[in-house]
Amino acid sequence: MEPHRPIIYLNNAATTWPKPPEVHEAVNRCLALPPFGSGRTTGTQGEDYITLAREALAGFLGAGPPEHVVFTQNATDSLNLLIQGFLAANGDGCHVLTTALEHNSVLRPLRELERQGRIQLTILPFEDGTVSPATVEAAIRPETRLAVMTHASNVLGSVQDVRAIGRVLEDRGVYFVVDGAQAAGHIPVDLRTLPIDAYAFTGHKALFGIPGTGGFWIRDPEAVAPVRFGGTGSSSCTLLHPRGMPERFEAGTHNYPGLAALAAGAGFVRATGPGAIAAKAERQAAFLVGELRQEPNVVVYNDRPGLPIIAFTVRGMEHEDVGFVLARAYGIVSRTGIHCAPLVHRAIDGGVGCVRLSLSWFTTDDECACAARAVREIARNADPQVGTA
Amino acid sequence: MRILRSVRHKACADGSFMKEFLLDGPVTAAFFAYLADFGEVEALPGLGEGFYRFERADWFSIRGMAGDTTVEVRFNRPAMDLTMDFVYALFGLYRDGDPDLAVLKRREQALAERVGKRLHGA
Repeated sequence: MEPHRPIIYLNNAATTWPKPPEVHEAVNRCLALPPFGSGRTTGTQGEDYITLAREALAGFLGAGPPEHVVFTQNATDSLNLLIQGFLAANGDGCHVLTTALEHNSVLRPLRELERQGRIQLTILPFEDGTVSPATVEAAIRPETRLAVMTHASNVLGSVQDVRAIGRVLEDRGVYFVVDGAQAAGHIPVDLRTLPIDAYAFTGHKALFGIPGTGGFWIRDPEAVAPVRFGGTGSSSCTLLHPRGMPERFEAGTHNYPGLAALAAGAGFVRATGPGAIAAKAERQAAFLVGELRQEPNVVVYNDRPGLPIIAFTVRGMEHEDVGFVLARAYGIVSRTGIHCAPLVHRAIDGGVGCVRLSLSWFTTDDECACAARAVREIARNADPQVGTA
Repeated sequence: MRILRSVRHKACADGSFMKEFLLDGPVTAAFFAYLADFGEVEALPGLGEGFYRFERADWFSIRGMAGDTTVEVRFNRPAMDLTMDFVYALFGLYRDGDPDLAVLKRREQALAERVGKRLHGA
């Protein structure tokens, strides 16, 4: 079914749309046949979508054994499991590093643990959209055990040098969890070569899956204790949850159609080529930034985003007004507000919020041109005397 | 003006609530001029057929494009249970450009006291 009117969808950093045809087909196929269960009586015609998805993600992320890829509901779920599980394995009282670039999926679990007196937390500032390895190194204390940071900002589109930061942390014995919610699918990731201990991802963004799927990769499963227990379809005679991978972190029935979609989405990205995806994104983001920068009433918060995410405000208009006009007058879907990243906004716009345009592989050059024209038209009609951006 | 359908959304920035109203006819510049009796109205007439925003501090705001049958209403959460009925009255009593302002003004005055007491203790 087509939308009731043509829209230009530029809210892909929230959830990508449209999805590749392969993803639609995979979900339909998955729902059309009985669920596959190895060694069970549930049928033999269906595909083992869980294994397919695990292999697809492991291959795509360069993750080594597929069993070290764990499926969850989304990146937030993954980050909660990793953070809570790290404390469960290593005990309370450690010092944890994170950054002001984080989404609430990182900030809230950590703040809650700090509030409970279970960790000491340091939030590192950023400059020009990135946190430097030197800033990380200077913040490490003898009791620092964990660092959690984003691979790419969901507001600024800035990509962090997780390789350099990971080296610093590795040298000091600090466990490094990276939030890849925005980056996975947009930029090539090869976990075998990165000094990272765990990498969280979500299915419904640049991997082109559907909402309700995500996961994480973990190098050494022993470093994180499981915090969820239940049925796994294996070792069912024992009342203790199995400790082998991936069951260690997975309990309950999987999201079969969601994982079928994720496998198809990751397959699409792999076939298209992460390099080609990144190159197109860079070109289109540069075009949009260039257009918006020509308008004196527009403030762009990152001139060189590594991901196709453009954050801006229009002087004289509230960001919600800009988003409303984009949607109602031009049919352009953006995202306004603080994007669940309050500390980024405190740093760039006083915590007020901004408008975000975010692209995907399916965004056309024409759509970028339309969006640029629309924002420039809005900016020319705004009254800069009404307020300041 | 009848509200045919309302869809409730969350607004993440400040915890306020947003409702999108589908109306039985398009909003007009005259409608927002009528709203100016109850709060501040800002207009950017050069955008499309005109962009309008009504704001009643502490109560709610209404955004709309002239000629469009959909408007966005954002409620200040602490007073939302008190003010929601008044929003419906603002739309419902605007009939053929001839609203009963006396009725609405009485309701507004009564409501202002209650909202003021709740939010500011006065």
